[in-house]
Amino acid sequence: MALSKERLLKLYEDMFLIRRFEEEVEVYAKNGTIPGFVHLSIGQEAAQAGIIDCLRKTDYKFPDHRGHGAIALCGTDKKRVMAEIFAKATGINGGRGGSMHVHDLEVRNMGFNGIQGSTVVTCLGTAFASQYRGTDDVTVVFLGDGTLGEGTCHESLNMAATWKLPIIYCLLNNQYAISTHYTEAHPQQQLSTWAKGYEVPSETVDGNDVEAVVEATERAIERARKGEGPTFIEFMTYRWQGHFAGDPAAYRPDDEVKEWIENRDPIKLLKEKLISREGCSEEELQKIEAKANEEIAEMVKFCLESPDPVAEDALKNVYADREVEDR
Amino acid sequence: MSRIISYGKAINEALHQEMERDDSVFILGEDVAKMGGDFGITQGIWHRWPHRAKDTALSEQAIIGLANGAAICGLRPVPEIMFADFITCCYDQLVNNAAKLNFMYNGKAHCPITVRTVQGAGIRCAYHHSQNVEAWLMNVPGLVIVMPTTPYEAKGLLISSIRNNNPVVFLEHKLLYNTKGEVPEEPYTIDLYKAEIEREGKDITIVATQTALKLAHEAAAIMEKEGVSVEIIDPRTIMPLDKETIINSVAKTGRLIIAHEGPKFGGFGAEISAIISEHVWEYLRAPIMRVTSLDVPVAFAPVMEDYVLPKTEHVVKACREVMEY
Ligand SMILES: Cc1ncc(C[n+]2csc(CCOP(=O)(O)OP(=O)(O)O)c2C)c(N)n1
Ligand SMILES: [Mg+2]
Repeated sequence: MALSKERLLKLYEDMFLIRRFEEEVEVYAKNGTIPGFVHLSIGQEAAQAGIIDCLRKTDYKFPDHRGHGAIALCGTDKKRVMAEIFAKATGINGGRGGSMHVHDLEVRNMGFNGIQGSTVVTCLGTAFASQYRGTDDVTVVFLGDGTLGEGTCHESLNMAATWKLPIIYCLLNNQYAISTHYTEAHPQQQLSTWAKGYEVPSETVDGNDVEAVVEATERAIERARKGEGPTFIEFMTYRWQGHFAGDPAAYRPDDEVKEWIENRDPIKLLKEKLISREGCSEEELQKIEAKANEEIAEMVKFCLESPDPVAEDALKNVYADREVEDR
Repeated sequence: MSRIISYGKAINEALHQEMERDDSVFILGEDVAKMGGDFGITQGIWHRWPHRAKDTALSEQAIIGLANGAAICGLRPVPEIMFADFITCCYDQLVNNAAKLNFMYNGKAHCPITVRTVQGAGIRCAYHHSQNVEAWLMNVPGLVIVMPTTPYEAKGLLISSIRNNNPVVFLEHKLLYNTKGEVPEEPYTIDLYKAEIEREGKDITIVATQTALKLAHEAAAIMEKEGVSVEIIDPRTIMPLDKETIINSVAKTGRLIIAHEGPKFGGFGAEISAIISEHVWEYLRAPIMRVTSLDVPVAFAPVMEDYVLPKTEHVVKACREVMEY
C-alpha cells in the first residue's frame, strides 16, 4: 500500500535534513574542527528515516556507528546531537562520547557501542523488559553487513526467536565492511536468508526506497507488538563515502559508486515519486529544502559557538554512587 | 645497513621478512589483506602472498580460534585484532585456549601465535577505541605480552615473537606508528625476555612503557638540570618480566617510579611495585610512585581525554617528591 503524500513529504524533509546534517559533519571533520573519526551515512537516508518514522518515542532504538541520521530523527534536540559530535559541552552527552556514542534515554535512543555486535545482544534486554512488564514497546537494532559476522548476532537471534522477543533486526547492507565486500565475508548472496536457520521471518527490501522501508518495518513492528517475536530485515543500500570521513575507499569500483549515486540516490528517488505520482511541485520541495538548510545552519552555528566541556568532568559518572579520585 | 623508518613501517618490514623466511607464517584479520590493515600495517603482503593473507568477517573469536587450531598443526599465524579494545570479543580464545594450550597438551603441542593489536589513547576516539589492555592480560599465566616502543624494538621484537613458541600478544601503540628511528634493513631478533636500560642514572629508576617512556625521558632531562640523575628502563616484554634488571637498578638508585598510560589500579605499575617491595625494600629511600592515567574510561572531548592521561609534569613532580622524601 502506498504511503500518503503527507507522510512522504515528512520523510522527504527528514531525509533531506539528515543528508545535510552529514554533509556539514563531513566538512567539519575534514577541516579538523570535529576530533576523532566519523562514519557518515550519506546514501542511507531512506533506511534511517524510514525505520525511525515507524517508531514511537517509547520504543527502544539501538542505532549503529553509522547512525547520526537515525539518531537525529529520534526526537532529540538535533543541535545537541551535532554538538556531541563536535565534542562540545552542549552535546547530548556533554562531549564525553562523540560520534559513536550519542545516547539519549529521554527518547529511548540507547546509543551505539564502539564494539561491533555488542548492541545486538544488549537489545535482548530492552525487548525482554517490555515483555516482562507487559508493554508493547518494541526494540529496533541497526547493524551492518560486516557486523553480522560477530557471534553475538547468532546468540541474539537464537534467544530472541526462542523467547519471542519483540525485536526488529535492521541490517543495513551497504555491501562493505570497511574494505571487505559482504560476499567475501558471508556465504549468502542475500543476508536475510541468514535468519531462516532460527525460523525468524526475514526479508530483503530496497533500502533506498523509503516506501519499501516503511512497509517492511511496519509489518515487523506489528508482529512484534502482537507478541509474535522478532523479524530480520535486510535493507540493501550503499554508503557514498568511505568507511570514515577521509577514507578514499580505493577498494570500491568507480562505476559501482557512480551507479548508486546517480541512479539510486534515495532522496532523488523520493523526489521523483513526489513529483510524478503525488503531483508535488518543485517549489513545494524547494521550500522544504530551504527550511532544512536554515535549520542546519543554525545547528552548525550553535556547535561552533558552544563551549568545550570542563576537563574535570571526565571523572564524573564512573560510578553511580561515588566520585573517582583525581590526581 | 640501518636507515630511519617509522614504527609502522618497521612492523610491516618484520612481517614481510618473516613471511619470506618461513612459509608457515600467515596473517589474518579484518581488512588485513587487500587493504593492508586499518592502520596500513600489513600493506603489500597480500599482493606477494595472496593465499597467506586472509581478510575475515568481523569475527574476533573465530580469528583467534582459527589461529590457535592452526598453531597446533604447526603453522605460525599472525592474526590482527583491529583495536586492542576488541580483544574482549576473543578473550576466551586468548585466555582459556592460547594461554593454556602448551599446558593442556603437556608440552606436546605449542601455541606459536602472535596476536598483533593496537592500543592506547590520544586520537580522540573515546572509551571503546582508546584503552590500554596489558593489565587485562597480565593475570593469565602462559601469555607473553610484548609492548614495543621504538621502531628498532618493533621490528626486532616482532620477529622474535613470531619465532617464539608461545602465544604472544604484541601490543602496538597507535600514537607510535608514525614515530621514526634507526632500523637495520636485514632481519634481526631481540631477546624477548630482557629489559632495556635506555638511560643510565644513579638517583631514580623510572620503569616506563610506550608513550610513558617519552614522558620519562623528558622528565629525566628536566631533572638533570636540577642535578638529579635518572635511570630509565623499558621492560619491552612485561610478562614474563625481566625482574632482575629492574631489581638491580632499584638496588642502585633506591628510588622507583613506574609510568604507564593505562589506569593505575591493578595496572602494570602495581605489579612492579610489589616485586620491588618483595625483593629490595631495604634499599628503598622513598615510597614507590606511579604515574598513570586516572581510573576512568577515556572520554572523547580533547580537553577531557588530555586531562586523564599522564603528562611529563606528573613524572617530574613524582621525581621531586621521591628526591625530597
Ligand atoms: C568488535 C569490533 N570489531 C571490529 C570493529 C572495527 N570496525 C568498526 S566498523 C567496522 C566495519 C563494519 O561494517 P558493517 O557492519 O558492514 O557496517 P558499515 O560500516 O558498513 O556501516 C569495523 C571492522 C569494531 N568496532 N568492533
Ligand atoms: Mg557495511
